[in-house]
Amino acid sequence: MSVKIALAGNPNCGKTTLFNALTGSNQFVGNWPGVTVEKKEGKLKGHKDVTIMDLPGIYSLSPYTLEEIVARNYLINERPDAIINIVDGTNIERNLYLSTQIMELGIPVVMAVNMMDLVEKAGDKIHTDKLSKLLGCEVVEISALKGTGIQKAAEKAISLAERKNEVTPVHEFDSKVEDAITAVGTMLGMDIPEAQKRFFAIKLLEKDDKIKEQMKLVPDVSNEIKALEDAFDDDTESIITNERYVYISSIIGKCVTKGRKGGMTVSDKIDRWVTNRWLALPIFAAVMFIVYYVSITTVGAFLTDWTNDVLFGEIIPPAVEKLLVAVNCADWLQGLILDGIVAGVGAVLGFVPQMLVLFIFLAFLEGCGYMARVAFIMDRIFRKFGLSGKSFIPMLIGSGCGVPGIMASRTIESDRDRKMTIMTTTFVPCGAKLPIIALIAGAFFNNAGWVAWSAYFVGVVAIICSGIILKKTKMFSGEPAPFVMELPAYHMPTVGNVLRSMWERGWSFIKKAGTIILLSTIVLWFLMSFGWVDGKFGMLEAEQLNDSILASIGNVIAPIFAPLGWTKAGEGWKMAVAAITGLIAKENVVATFGMLFGFAEVAEDGSEIWGNLAQVMTPIAAYGFLVFNLLCAPCFAAMGAIKREMNNAKWFWFAIGYQCGLAYVVSLCIYQFGILFTGGGFGLWTVVAVVLLIAFLYMLFRPYKESKSLKVA
Amino acid sequence: MGTVVVGAVLVGVVTLIVRSMVKDKKNGKSLQCGGDCSHCGGHCSH
Repeated sequence: MSVKIALAGNPNCGKTTLFNALTGSNQFVGNWPGVTVEKKEGKLKGHKDVTIMDLPGIYSLSPYTLEEIVARNYLINERPDAIINIVDGTNIERNLYLSTQIMELGIPVVMAVNMMDLVEKAGDKIHTDKLSKLLGCEVVEISALKGTGIQKAAEKAISLAERKNEVTPVHEFDSKVEDAITAVGTMLGMDIPEAQKRFFAIKLLEKDDKIKEQMKLVPDVSNEIKALEDAFDDDTESIITNERYVYISSIIGKCVTKGRKGGMTVSDKIDRWVTNRWLALPIFAAVMFIVYYVSITTVGAFLTDWTNDVLFGEIIPPAVEKLLVAVNCADWLQGLILDGIVAGVGAVLGFVPQMLVLFIFLAFLEGCGYMARVAFIMDRIFRKFGLSGKSFIPMLIGSGCGVPGIMASRTIESDRDRKMTIMTTTFVPCGAKLPIIALIAGAFFNNAGWVAWSAYFVGVVAIICSGIILKKTKMFSGEPAPFVMELPAYHMPTVGNVLRSMWERGWSFIKKAGTIILLSTIVLWFLMSFGWVDGKFGMLEAEQLNDSILASIGNVIAPIFAPLGWTKAGEGWKMAVAAITGLIAKENVVATFGMLFGFAEVAEDGSEIWGNLAQVMTPIAAYGFLVFNLLCAPCFAAMGAIKREMNNAKWFWFAIGYQCGLAYVVSLCIYQFGILFTGGGFGLWTVVAVVLLIAFLYMLFRPYKESKSLKVA
Repeated sequence: MGTVVVGAVLVGVVTLIVRSMVKDKKNGKSLQCGGDCSHCGGHCSH
């Protein structure tokens, strides 16, 4: 018999950690709420017939956001055979609010009180036996992180599911509320199962519109609502919420013994500094500077230099060439493999060490709970500019990959804020953009740490400026969505989790280099190796690159980018082509440069690998090129995610157009003002840059349309 | 002869790559998305 068990609980209570432990999956775990936005399925280890479903975290069964709707609809419509309700033991009072609602669904429930190790460490005691009796369901103590008690919880859930033991809620509200629930319950049609009647009756009394969409017949309960509201002098939703908390308080008093009263925890003490009004931002800036300084400049640069100069310079290309010569391989095929695949893929893989070092740091910051604080810190700043701190969570996830970052925008209730977040999330450099940052830093700025740091700074500033500008338009006007977020306690992430997170991200990068990047390099090699010379089509010599098909395509596009300074030595088409191939995958920018500037051949000579690139662009144009690639439309996959999440072609094209337009304007201003201030002269495009800057500043500082100032909470 | 062998190996590798990408796509994964597939949950196929 197949059994379906759902994991339900508040955000950041450890559902995904439990899911991974039970199923052996590798789903991403982050120490902040909102990591899971879609349900995920897996088989219980050792039980092929038992399916475990990881649901997005929810605070109640009255959903406000898309991922909360996903969780509630699954519980109501799919009706799993049992629910493991995960409760954060360190915050049991608030977690029990959802539990009281889950128990009204008429589905067997096992309550798993998680983080018991932290509860004990804090000197508190949860009497699970009493809790079980008062709640009317099985209660198990677990630590999902350490794996204790999880098997017991799963076995109890299977046993309940097989016996089909429904949970009858033992809690009772005030007699007037109970009478109203009973009265509404009798009005419900046959389409509502008997076991769910209490749940539907309460939701109707709470005026939950979404629940009405799930019902065939919706009874008129306005009289019952009015009677309750008159009796309690409050709205029904508040009345029922209050009743639940009265009940929960009575349980907590009997089941929880606090070891320490009123004292500050270690997390509280750290937060006094880390989230301090004045120190929070400098601390965050310092942390990120250290992270990127170490990743890009010191340890990371040392490892990457070795990979580029030795591994992909002195070891692999000569070895491959020797092998190809030994088997008497044709020159053109040698060219394809050495100048195409090895040069292109090697150029990308050369940056793997830097990325792995960065991923270790990010995994640590995420795992210990600091990143959740960053969202809180950023909320204070974002709010002033019309964005919610909720927008920062997708951006945080987007620093790994834009696709899940864009999807994480589902946690934002307001449609306008959600659309704005989707449009701006990819401004934060994703992992795939890191090789571009490292390449520009290495080739033009002697691996200076500020290049990487400034790339992220540019991303955040672009988000803030976009927030201000867009909020002043009719499309996005309105107050930012409220941001309520529970800050998880700090804890030392396990070495396994940090390494796993690093490996997952790093491996997907390596895998991509071996698949889509490799295929791209083959196509690019053909485009750069064939062309027309003296009216004849054929294979070209190395010095005839400017006659290739790729050069012809690039030369059509290049004039568009000429004002950005991608023109030096008449090789601007190479930059244009690199930027365009970056739309397939951002790493392709580096792979394309590797091929166009003879990565393999230069490395063989032992000279500066990226020296050739530095010959055709000024540092100012190179920095502009970097900014353009950071801000312009993301890769096709992320564009696909934007299209899906926007669910509207007009909005999709508006987002892509805005990103490309902003990237062009910023890059143009960087180059034009850069050359102006370094004595490069004043020209037509400088005038255009000045006009664009004035227009940008006007849009930034003009008054809000709806009111003189943005009303923020 | 060397060219034929190396060419055949290359074609084989490309075929395997394309096959694995098609397979991943059918399984709801997308290599193109570039990052952490475990974040994704396989929505790329929808």
